[in-house]
Amino acid sequence: MIEFKNVKSIYKRNNHIALDDVSFKIDDGEFVFIVGHSGAGKTTMTKLLLREMVPTSGSIIVNNYNLKKLPKFKVPKYRRSLGVVFQDFKLFPKKTVYENVAFAMQVVGTPKALIARRVPAILKSMGLIDKAKNIPEELSGGEQQRVAIARALANSPEIIVADEPTGNIDPQMAAEIMELLIWINQKFGKTVVVVTHSENLVNTYQHRVIRLDHGKVTSDRVGGMFE
Amino acid sequence: MNHIPKMQKQPPKMKKSYNPFMFIAEAFKNLWRDRVISVASILVLASCLVLLGCFSLLVVNINVNMEKLVSLNEIVVFVDYDLPDDEVQYIGQKIRVLDNVESVEFISKDDGLESMKADYAGFEDVFDEMKESGDNPLSDSFRIKYKDNSKVTTLDYNLRQIEGVRKVNNRLDLATSLESFKNGISVIFIGFLIVLFIVSVFIIINTIKLAVNSHMEEIRVMKYIGASDWFIVVPYIIEGTIIGIFSSVIAYLFQWYIYYSLEKMVATDIQMIELASFGDIGGIVALAFLAVGILTGVIGSCISLHKNLQA
Repeated sequence: MIEFKNVKSIYKRNNHIALDDVSFKIDDGEFVFIVGHSGAGKTTMTKLLLREMVPTSGSIIVNNYNLKKLPKFKVPKYRRSLGVVFQDFKLFPKKTVYENVAFAMQVVGTPKALIARRVPAILKSMGLIDKAKNIPEELSGGEQQRVAIARALANSPEIIVADEPTGNIDPQMAAEIMELLIWINQKFGKTVVVVTHSENLVNTYQHRVIRLDHGKVTSDRVGGMFE
Repeated sequence: MNHIPKMQKQPPKMKKSYNPFMFIAEAFKNLWRDRVISVASILVLASCLVLLGCFSLLVVNINVNMEKLVSLNEIVVFVDYDLPDDEVQYIGQKIRVLDNVESVEFISKDDGLESMKADYAGFEDVFDEMKESGDNPLSDSFRIKYKDNSKVTTLDYNLRQIEGVRKVNNRLDLATSLESFKNGISVIFIGFLIVLFIVSVFIIINTIKLAVNSHMEEIRVMKYIGASDWFIVVPYIIEGTIIGIFSSVIAYLFQWYIYYSLEKMVATDIQMIELASFGDIGGIVALAFLAVGILTGVIGSCISLHKNLQA
């Protein structure tokens, strides 16, 4: 569950109000788009969700963690409860596909034997088993994003946050990635939050849409369109 | 879409397992993957260590040679003329128990005359005549070597207080000047050594920082997927340690070769200079290289990581 309550976020450097009195609740198992044009506050919202920054006022509850009060030493544990997918994939360029996925499990202290069983299974389901020994630069953009999703799923998080997941790939691959995220949501009941500015994406898949504009939530509708 | 097997709704409860060998293996893998930067770091660190080593050994050897020069000084004590032998021996005993006395050599007036005869070649008959006529103008004497040049004034005073001592010959001014010169040289060279050490540490730390900074993006990703600070830091600390160990071994071998060649050259060509034996100081050099190498490697890693971990 994700809950924003009257969240205000101001950048001290230039007193810019990035988010202003933002409130919404995303229940377990929902698939939600967070949309908005450039400067709407999407990046700030993603940073808040990843606990890269804390809100100036208001509260954010994610997976029962109160992010405003979360001490620094507990941030790694909180981040392990999320699976994050980035526009630029953020894979380890010198690690193989297998190592990239396995690393997320090593971080949480997963025993080697379990990693050896689970990683091939995930790669197989993502259609990446033949690429296990390749390094990211040997893969297409779509394949790299699938590796990023595989890594995000490695520790079975309850929530997947995808920040512009189709921003760096061609339309056909983008459709595949979206199908994959929807499948993960429907099959395993994971909460999926897709942050995007892509009209096509939002209008094609017809899920709940939270629209941001100049730091405020201007609409929140199920089956909404990018207006 | 294929099925994802064994994917649980809740994260699996399991016992955490962090294998220390995993961190060591990860450190070696990182070193190999960034081998150009790794080799550059090792070479920079080794070069700085050799430079530091050369300068330190120079300071050690300057001290050794200055000590040798200062230790040429000795005091000669002349007793009163025609003192009976037992009184002369008694004076000898009193001298031996004085503080700062290293050795005492008794020189009888006959031996003194023989020594002068040897020094003044061509005038042997004059000295022979003196000896035969019993008209030896010298008195019995003691040649004293002392331990600490800085306490020679006190020794000189104590010798003059002994009854039966007629004259004390010393080179007090020369000894004091040499001691001051030695101290001055030591201070200057140790000052240079400290500056060189600071500069070297700065260069080494910055080289290691370059290596760590090349992993900045990787560290950010590690943080995003929930890696704790210690999980990120440990492999880099191990990397810094490995770089330090490799560098100190290379530096030690190079230092040994340079010093060995110098020892050979001094032994054959410049015998007036004395070099401290590498066998005696090699252990200290090795330990110092290892300590400086590892410390700077680890400190460099920590400083760079501290900055990156704030992200």
